[in-house]
Amino acid sequence: MMGTWLRRRRNQRHLLEITIYVLLTVGALFWLFPFIWMFLASIKPTEEIYTRFWPTRLTFEHYQLILRGGVALQRPFLRAFFNTLFVASVETASIVFIAAITGYALGRLEFRARDLLSNAILYQMIFPGILFLIPTFLLVLRLNLINTYAGMIIRFLTDATGVFLFTQFFKTIPQDLIDAARIDGAGEMTIIWRIMIPLSTSVTAFVALFNFMARWDEFLWNLIVVRDYNLMTLPVLLAVFTKGEYGNYPGAQMAAATILTLPILLLFMLFRRYFQEGIVTSGLKG
Amino acid sequence: MTTSVSAPGQPSTAPAKRRRRINWIAYILVSPYVIYNLVFWVYPFIWGLIIAFQKWNIVSPKKEWVGLGNFILVVSDPQFWNALWVTFKFWIFFLPAVAAASLLLAMMLQRVSHFRGFYIAAFLASYTMAGVAYSVVFLLLLSGNGLINTWIWKLFHVRIPWFTDPRLAMVSIALVVVWKFVGYYGLIFLAGLNAIPRELYDAAAVDGANAWQRFRYITIPLLNPSFTVVFVFATILSYGIFTEPYLITGGGPLGSTQTFMLLIYQKTFENLEAGLGSAMAISMAALSFASTAVVRRLIEREVAL
Repeated sequence: MMGTWLRRRRNQRHLLEITIYVLLTVGALFWLFPFIWMFLASIKPTEEIYTRFWPTRLTFEHYQLILRGGVALQRPFLRAFFNTLFVASVETASIVFIAAITGYALGRLEFRARDLLSNAILYQMIFPGILFLIPTFLLVLRLNLINTYAGMIIRFLTDATGVFLFTQFFKTIPQDLIDAARIDGAGEMTIIWRIMIPLSTSVTAFVALFNFMARWDEFLWNLIVVRDYNLMTLPVLLAVFTKGEYGNYPGAQMAAATILTLPILLLFMLFRRYFQEGIVTSGLKG
Repeated sequence: MTTSVSAPGQPSTAPAKRRRRINWIAYILVSPYVIYNLVFWVYPFIWGLIIAFQKWNIVSPKKEWVGLGNFILVVSDPQFWNALWVTFKFWIFFLPAVAAASLLLAMMLQRVSHFRGFYIAAFLASYTMAGVAYSVVFLLLLSGNGLINTWIWKLFHVRIPWFTDPRLAMVSIALVVVWKFVGYYGLIFLAGLNAIPRELYDAAAVDGANAWQRFRYITIPLLNPSFTVVFVFATILSYGIFTEPYLITGGGPLGSTQTFMLLIYQKTFENLEAGLGSAMAISMAALSFASTAVVRRLIEREVAL
């Protein structure tokens, strides 16, 4: 009596588990579908993009159009790729460096303005960015930085959330390690780079990855600051390309979108653990 | 005898003196952040407040004080109220859809022991795709004669006007954003689910509670912190939609996807009305703050474990 009941329960469990695996697998394929379709569309003949999922033959004409022909058409996609890489890297380096030294001072050193500054940073985190878009643009205009790399970069040199995360994490590192280093004659910068950062890999990776992703993705600011095709980042060039006279080249658009997607996807696959930890942390913070 | 002069505060003099000395190193370390943010955060913020009270078209040197004129223009502008309506349409569809889907995902992820890493990666990958990239992808994929419509046509002999029907366009954009965020919010819910002690479910099962009752009276209330985070994130996000409508619909058809961000962009950078744009940005930020506060007020509860 009891035995059959237990067996039925176990069978029910089993059925539920199988259902979950099936649902998750179907869902995962559904969620990955736009990626797969984008990539296939970038290597199939134009006429098949709208009608077929699997290509009948492979072609690299779309990549050739944007990478080689692109220069002749005044749509320098390769250059845009390196522009994005350059702008996003400089911004991320500055964000991480400044967040680390500021976080060290706020988390480990005593000084009078500390509480004031910590509170100011918390407020900064909840202020909507839209309040700063127009006046910062006017400031960059006045500084004569429209249509320059500096104009794009100068808006994103620090990140309040990054400072907050470093501050919180640095507080948990034992004071003994810092004292021992001081006795050995280490300066504050040595302590930050040789002790604090190596002990905070996950926070450092998270701040670097999320900011790099956001800076790589940046659209609105780079759109309004740059008008010169040679300075445009990949998102801006792709948008201008799509909305402009080349809207009828879906294959080329998908090739550009693939190039825009791959670097971050690669970073994500390599450092997925940090992405996941970071998201959970950001959830706790809010 | 000489030391007794400072007797009253004596026990604390040593640390107090140390604290009172200016810690130069700390100030040097925070100075890049502070100086940068004074110039590129505080100063623009104040300037933004000032130009909201001026009539100014960026290119001309002529600025004219108009008092509350810009704000009166904003509230009497049907486009502003249209943007609020568009934001609401997005929010009312996006929030329940993304919350339900990501909670379901988290509950399923919690129950599987194999391939969990793969599943999380598959649902989170959409979050890493650049806004411009997926906007262009969905623009083609969901276009009138795109692949999805080709398939739907073969099956049901209808075509869905995803982005071309004014009633549907914003919902379609919301769907795209759901696709983007399900993995992200799913992880937040998963962390919340993992924080609920298993014994509670076991005890409830012993007391005869069925699966629905356990979900309704244990999971939902104890997941309140995760719900609060997801609802607040989703509300803030609803006001900030720009890239998708800019690329996919351009605000149309018939202004049905003209979000606040798109409207402010057009007023400021296409019509060059800096004062009006600034007033609009401030009004939108105020609405966003108020909505977030209301959402918090409505759903946030003290959770005692």
